[in-house]
Amino acid sequence: MASIEFLILFLVGAGIIAYLLTKLNTIVGSIFTIFTVMFVFVSLAQYGFGMDIITTVKILPGISFSQSYLGFYFAILIVFIYLMVSFFHPYFIDKYKYKDSYNLLFLLSLAGILGAFYTNNFLNLFFFFEIIIWTTMFLIPQGKSKEAAVSYFGFSLAGSVSLLLGVFVIFNSTGTFNINDSLALLSGNSAVLVFALFLIAAFAKLGAFPLHIWLPITHGNAPDPFSPVLSGALVKLGGFIAVLALIKITPATVMFRAMDIPIGHYLVAILGGLTIVFGTLMAIKEDDAKKLLAYSSMSHGGYILVAFSILNSMAFAGGFYHILAHALASAGAFMAIAAVSRVTGTTKIKELGGMIHKMPITYLAYLIAIISMAGIPPMGGFISKWLIFQAVIDKGMVFVGVAVFFGSVGSFLYVFRPLAALFLGQEFTEYKHVKEAPILMLIPTFVLMGLNIYTGVFPAAFLKVINNIIVELGYTGITYTTYVISGNNGVLNPALISLVFVVGILIAFIIFILLKKSRKVELMDTYTAGNFIHDEHLFHYSTDFYAPLERLYEKQSHWMTTFYRALAEKVKELGKLGKYLFMSKSLSVTLLWIISIIIFLLWGEVL
Amino acid sequence: MNVVFLIAIPLLAAFISILIKKYASYLLVAVGLFNIAVLIFSKNGIVFIGGFDTTISANLLGITLLLDTYTRIALWVVNVLILVIAVLNIKTYRDYGSILLLAMAGLNGLLLTNDLFNLFVFLEISGIAAYLLSTSNKKPVSTFRYLLYGAIGSSLFLFGVVILYSMYGTLNMVVMIREISASNNYTEVILPFILMFIGLGVEAKLLPFNAWVKGVLGNSNVLSGPMIAGVYMAAMSFVLGRLVTNLFVFEGTLLTVVTLILVLGIVVGDLMAFSSSKVREILLFSSIAQSSIIILLFVNGLTIWAVYLIVANALSKTVMFLVINKATAETENDEVDSLKGLFVHNNIVGLTFTLAALSVMGLPLLVGFVIKLNYLTALAGAGQITLIAVILLASLIEGIYLVRLLVKLWYKGEKDLRVEYHFSFKMVFIAIALSLLVFGNYSTPLNELDNSIDTVSEVVNNG
Amino acid sequence: MIQYASIFLFVLGLYGLFINKNVIKLIVSLNVMEIGLFIFIISIGYVGDNAIAPIISNTQDLGLIYVDPLPQALVLTAIVIGVGTTALALAIAKSIYNTYQTFDLDEMEESA
Repeated sequence: MASIEFLILFLVGAGIIAYLLTKLNTIVGSIFTIFTVMFVFVSLAQYGFGMDIITTVKILPGISFSQSYLGFYFAILIVFIYLMVSFFHPYFIDKYKYKDSYNLLFLLSLAGILGAFYTNNFLNLFFFFEIIIWTTMFLIPQGKSKEAAVSYFGFSLAGSVSLLLGVFVIFNSTGTFNINDSLALLSGNSAVLVFALFLIAAFAKLGAFPLHIWLPITHGNAPDPFSPVLSGALVKLGGFIAVLALIKITPATVMFRAMDIPIGHYLVAILGGLTIVFGTLMAIKEDDAKKLLAYSSMSHGGYILVAFSILNSMAFAGGFYHILAHALASAGAFMAIAAVSRVTGTTKIKELGGMIHKMPITYLAYLIAIISMAGIPPMGGFISKWLIFQAVIDKGMVFVGVAVFFGSVGSFLYVFRPLAALFLGQEFTEYKHVKEAPILMLIPTFVLMGLNIYTGVFPAAFLKVINNIIVELGYTGITYTTYVISGNNGVLNPALISLVFVVGILIAFIIFILLKKSRKVELMDTYTAGNFIHDEHLFHYSTDFYAPLERLYEKQSHWMTTFYRALAEKVKELGKLGKYLFMSKSLSVTLLWIISIIIFLLWGEVL
Repeated sequence: MNVVFLIAIPLLAAFISILIKKYASYLLVAVGLFNIAVLIFSKNGIVFIGGFDTTISANLLGITLLLDTYTRIALWVVNVLILVIAVLNIKTYRDYGSILLLAMAGLNGLLLTNDLFNLFVFLEISGIAAYLLSTSNKKPVSTFRYLLYGAIGSSLFLFGVVILYSMYGTLNMVVMIREISASNNYTEVILPFILMFIGLGVEAKLLPFNAWVKGVLGNSNVLSGPMIAGVYMAAMSFVLGRLVTNLFVFEGTLLTVVTLILVLGIVVGDLMAFSSSKVREILLFSSIAQSSIIILLFVNGLTIWAVYLIVANALSKTVMFLVINKATAETENDEVDSLKGLFVHNNIVGLTFTLAALSVMGLPLLVGFVIKLNYLTALAGAGQITLIAVILLASLIEGIYLVRLLVKLWYKGEKDLRVEYHFSFKMVFIAIALSLLVFGNYSTPLNELDNSIDTVSEVVNNG
Repeated sequence: MIQYASIFLFVLGLYGLFINKNVIKLIVSLNVMEIGLFIFIISIGYVGDNAIAPIISNTQDLGLIYVDPLPQALVLTAIVIGVGTTALALAIAKSIYNTYQTFDLDEMEESA
């Protein structure tokens, strides 16, 4: 039997060992890390599904655990993403400045994640959140930009601070830090306040509008194997808080009768819709493949918010399924980009092309991941989006409905761009020597490919777990059989759809076999304008696909970045004002302060 | 052993050391060790000096010293830190031995004394030692400003004390507390209290009264930085904390004004640090915010967490100022950008600095987190949600600028920066960082003490 | 009456600190302020024209009022400390002059 306390201590201990091993030899340390994470994943998978994990605490002071389907769902998913990513470490870790500490911080942050999802105490939750933040914060500057860490830390800390304030408001009005007890006791104005504060935390961690600008900065500049963790795993912490806020707290706000949801939840849904739209629009514009995927994560965060703000089980199922599907898809996509970046050293779409010839498996992994992201069958993303669409249409939420569909269509537009420009298209001369990723990196690639498809074809296995969570949250589970999911507006038969796809692919394959084989030619073996070509110019331009569309909102796209930059400037100016007012070199200013304070005090009371 | 030695011996040694200048620093170390021995062997209780009547009554004559757990913690912090700083600087700042002895005598007296006028005397003695320490910065104008502020502050403090004396006819703190609660006349004591609060606030670096800090700490070195930001701040916070907890009656407008001053200090302190681009300024502004938080905790009656915060803060600020001041002494420039990559070749120093900074930010696994969470919980229990919001907002700003600083110090700029840290420095850094880490993870010992470490009110009630 | 004088001196000193930029004048203002404070301390013990010194003597002193001796002791200490601070301030002033060749704080603004 696995005890959660043991797992956490195991991770901390293993982290220290990994540090020492990495100091000796980076490869050994990284492989040790893989086995550590694997052990944790296997223990969780073995005992977690049946809620058989021991939660008693013997050593750790002041910490208590309990298990729930909700926490387990997030925990197993994130541990899985960590496991997948850890396979990449041996090939990347040598690139980093402080490589010794990389595995240590990686494992410590995983320990924090386990704790965060298994604790039943708000203060412990905050404790684990902060551990996750500062351990990961030191991982990020090892990538491209040092400022990315500050941006990440700033927004995450803003989220935590808001969460903690909410926790204290809860404590003040209910007198307990126990997560379930206190949320149940909460009522009145403090419930509204906590609702708002928790949502700020959720928005900040999820990278939802208007707290989103750290996502592209951080994802884009983090170390390549860490971006999938950020997008697939850490962002989901925001989803967890969103669940706490939106489902477990029920502030007594005015109801929208027509839609039968409270006005607070409706506002969240609208913000979620805006997040989807802005994320999509920004992703369409982005030239860096990682930043593009970061904006896509943002818009998917919007879907999660929309799903949880519609208070019915169909939407919840969609939300939870989307968390799963997006984690798998974005991990797959980011890891494919990481594999490319390892051999080419860049993630800019403009500087890449034709990677399919060298890295066909990576290409396939990326293709499957983006199909899932765009919500096209037969991948997991389709199932979750279908569930969310069902719920949104059921409630008749017009704006949100437009937004979710816009996001879905928009995903086609943007996820296709790295595919077309980075993997397809003309091969660049400087990348002639590159090879496919090594076998150890292909393992997680294949696993993720398989899962992306599996979640789309046989969702029943996952829906069973999700139904457990929904029941745990006090709603009735959704109806489904092994092959069919039923919604209010129709039924979905994922296996059948997939079958159609398979048949289609088979037919295409047969045609491919029967028809005459195409001849593979060298890049120079062609002519243009009646001449042979003598040097390898770039003749295939696959950037700026959507220039006319981009021009529509070119000016507006910087608004949020400008806003936050201006905010930081204003804070600085306030600080300078403070220096001017209080730190002046002139004695008179201080004396003036002293005298005014004394006079102010005496005015009312004595004089 | 009698705790009077804690004051008398350093004072005596300070005068002797002028005669034997060569050996002043060795005398200092010897006296420091002696003080620690006294601390180990002395017993808690009230010490009556001068052979006067030992019942605490209205006509109590003579000066009394009070040693309880609160004072003991304070004395440990002050004496050990002075000893450590003295040993570290035994070669570089030879001539400052006598001054450190004077500082030791003044601060020990400040912490021990139970007599308000005596408190003023020690305030001046320790103040003079501090001005002299700040002369090592070679910035006479800043030192002069510090002296002016200090003198004005202690004059205001004395003014307040004298008014209290004229009202209640005693200078003994315990007797005074009794008299005040007996007379129960709140409006009369507003003026003396605010005067005394401002007077000590100048030294404790509370916001509108602390304009001297920028000049003194902004140019500080390996000696004056940790002394003034670490030792002095700790001692002054302890003294002000004791007065705030026991003597001052903060009610009505006075409470509002004091809370406003402190809240302003927290927010503006962190804002100023955010807008600074010089490392030493960032650290000193951050310590302004911290000291405001400490006093705010005292005002809200959270003595024990304020005490821990003082200790943790003194330790981390000592490390941070030592690291930075050593580096700036070599680069002769304390812009953050010119110190980029400081830790590239000093991994251990960098690690300890980082741990100290994380503790100041209040991040988990370090003692700062335990303290922060506990005092916030206590504040929440008292219903002070607004204060929590302010503290958290400030800690957000603080986190951002400290992380910005850390990232810059860890990653190389244009040029390769090499600063040599002596082995003894590293030992101190490691010891402090380890203690921050250990108590951050094993916080049970912290829970053993509670607000009753401050026994003044007990003495007031029971004699 | 004497208390008003002391308050006047105190405020005068404060005013001096407020407006002066010259190091020496600032020290003088500080002293004026402190003297105001000292007089205030003395004035507390002062109880009127008929008071006598608190010395044990053989004469019948029933019905006479003693001057409170404590403020006098306090003021002596305070004066000594004040002198000490002033001496240090003057020493620093000399060091300032040696460095900047001026006593005016405004003229050395950039260097501090």
